[in-house]
Amino acid sequence: MSETAQSNHTEKKDFLVRSSSLKDVRTFCREVFEKLQIEQNLKDELVLAIAEAAQNIVKHAYKDDPQTDDKMVVQISCKDNKLQIGFYDMGTPVDPNKVKHREIDNVKPGGLGTFFIQEIMDAVEFKDGKKPWINHLVLTKQL
Amino acid sequence: MSYKVDEIDNKRVVHLNGEIDMEVSDKARNTILPLIEAGHEVQINLSKVDYMDSSGISVLIESKKLSEQKKTKFELIEVSKPVEKVLAMARKFL
Repeated sequence: MSETAQSNHTEKKDFLVRSSSLKDVRTFCREVFEKLQIEQNLKDELVLAIAEAAQNIVKHAYKDDPQTDDKMVVQISCKDNKLQIGFYDMGTPVDPNKVKHREIDNVKPGGLGTFFIQEIMDAVEFKDGKKPWINHLVLTKQL
Repeated sequence: MSYKVDEIDNKRVVHLNGEIDMEVSDKARNTILPLIEAGHEVQINLSKVDYMDSSGISVLIESKKLSEQKKTKFELIEVSKPVEKVLAMARKFL
């Protein structure tokens, strides 16, 4: 494991798919970004983007199963100054074509959260989840 | 998140404290909206909020809209730097 953003570094952690886990997701991210020596301003933005993506899993992929005992995995990798954050969950399959901002008069957390993610990250990509995962979201950012 | 509400004549100053995310946004909503619904002028003091996500921003937007409907005054005061940053990003969306 390296100590700087210039080298390779990967960490992952699983979390219960609950809104009460979002604070733990943020703590995990802050700890990893601290090790990567990412500056405070960018760190705050990245933590927000990751927390919004995790929130979307709770709110949308598990909309019909709020008391689930399923876990989601957040994986943060940094290679050659490129940050990649993977999210894995076993909830309802996400249709990437339906993931977009809401209209202005209908601002709800999902729409605004997705906007934040897209503003902060360079790329947002839904990949096919490999078993046992259903959804696999990848956010990337060049450091 | 914790909060306290100061009462000054018809004004209610809601002091929010801590991190405001999906887990606690309903608590914030259920604190603020009834004050506006009751016709109070409402100020939200955000000086001690060190993190706010889209759930928290949505509560502020709902509050603003309700205050416009009720023709009451609603404002944010002493906005912390982390919240100001998120608000600035949200303004691009709005």
